[in-house]
Amino acid sequence: MAGKDVHYVLRLVAKLSIDKASQVLSKMVRAGSKIELEKVYLADISKATENVMASDRGAVVGAFVDLVGDIPFKFLFYVDSQDSMMLTDLILRRPDGATKAIDVYTMSAVQELGNILSSAITNVFASDFQVAMKPTPPKMVHDYASTVFQEFLMDAATEQNEILMIESTFRVVKVDIKCRMFLLPKNDAQKTLANIIGLN
Amino acid sequence: MAKRIITVDDAPIIRLMIKDVLIECGKYDVVAECSNGREAVEKYKELRPDLVTMDIIMPEMDGIKALEEILKFDPSAKVVMVTAIDQRESLMKAIRLGATDYIVKPFEADRVMSAVQKAFGESPETAP
Repeated sequence: MAGKDVHYVLRLVAKLSIDKASQVLSKMVRAGSKIELEKVYLADISKATENVMASDRGAVVGAFVDLVGDIPFKFLFYVDSQDSMMLTDLILRRPDGATKAIDVYTMSAVQELGNILSSAITNVFASDFQVAMKPTPPKMVHDYASTVFQEFLMDAATEQNEILMIESTFRVVKVDIKCRMFLLPKNDAQKTLANIIGLN
Repeated sequence: MAKRIITVDDAPIIRLMIKDVLIECGKYDVVAECSNGREAVEKYKELRPDLVTMDIIMPEMDGIKALEEILKFDPSAKVVMVTAIDQRESLMKAIRLGATDYIVKPFEADRVMSAVQKAFGESPETAP
C-alpha cells in the first residue's frame, strides 16, 4: 500500500512539474505547448528497454540530468533528431527548415529544455515536500533511443531489478515536436519519500 | 566606442541568443564567449570587459563561484546573472554577493537590453 501511495505522489509531482514546464516552454518557443503525462509504471529493466525500442526506433538528442539532494533521481529527456532541428529553429526564431543537421546549437536547444524540465521537477519537490534538491548540468547525447535509454538505466541495473518510470510525451503544437522524459528514483529515494509523506 | 561584453553559459544556444540581441543594438561588442565559470574568470582577467552575463548552473565552476572570483579581482565588475526561473535561492545569493542585475530564462530581447542598459546607467531612450 505504501508503495502505491509513493507512486501516486510521484505521479502528482510529475504532473505538477509538467504543468510548470509547459508554461516555461511556451514562453521560450513563443508557441503553445502541451505536455501529456502518459503513464507511471514500475517496470522490469529489460521490459522497459523493450518498450522504448518498440516505440522509438530512430536517433534522438537527449539530456541526462542527476537531480541530487534529499530525494535523488536520474532524469532523461530526449527529442527525435529531426524534431530537435525544428526545435532549434523555433528557439532561435529562424525560418522552419533553417537548421539542417545536428550541431552544437541543436544539442544546446535540447539541453536547455532539459534544464527547464529538471528545474521544474526539483522546484515542485522543494516547494511541496520541503526537501533540498537541485539539478546538475546536463550530459548531452546523440544516439539511437534504445542506446540512450540503456545508458540511462545502467546505474539502476546495479542497484535494483525494477524501476519506476514516469513517461511523458509532449508537443509544441505549432510544429508538433514529440519529446519524452523519464524519471528514475535512485538509491533509497522512494523510501525517503515515503518517510517524508508519513507512510513509514 | 562599443562596450565590451563577455557572455558565459554552458549552452551555446543561450550565448548565441544573448549575443544576437547585443550585436543588433550596435552599442555592444561581445569579445568572448565562455562555457563555464573557470573560463569566465580567466577571460575576465585577460580582457577586462565592461560587463559579463553569467549563467548560474555550469560544469567545472558555477556562476556563483565565478562571480565571487571576478569581484575579488575587480570589486567594480558589472556582472548580470542569467538564470532559470526556479533557481531563486542561488539568484538571491548572487545578488547578495554583488551581482549587478539578473535575467530569468527564458527571456525576451527587451529584458536583456534593459538589464545591460541599467548596468551601464543608460536609459532605454539613449539606446539606438
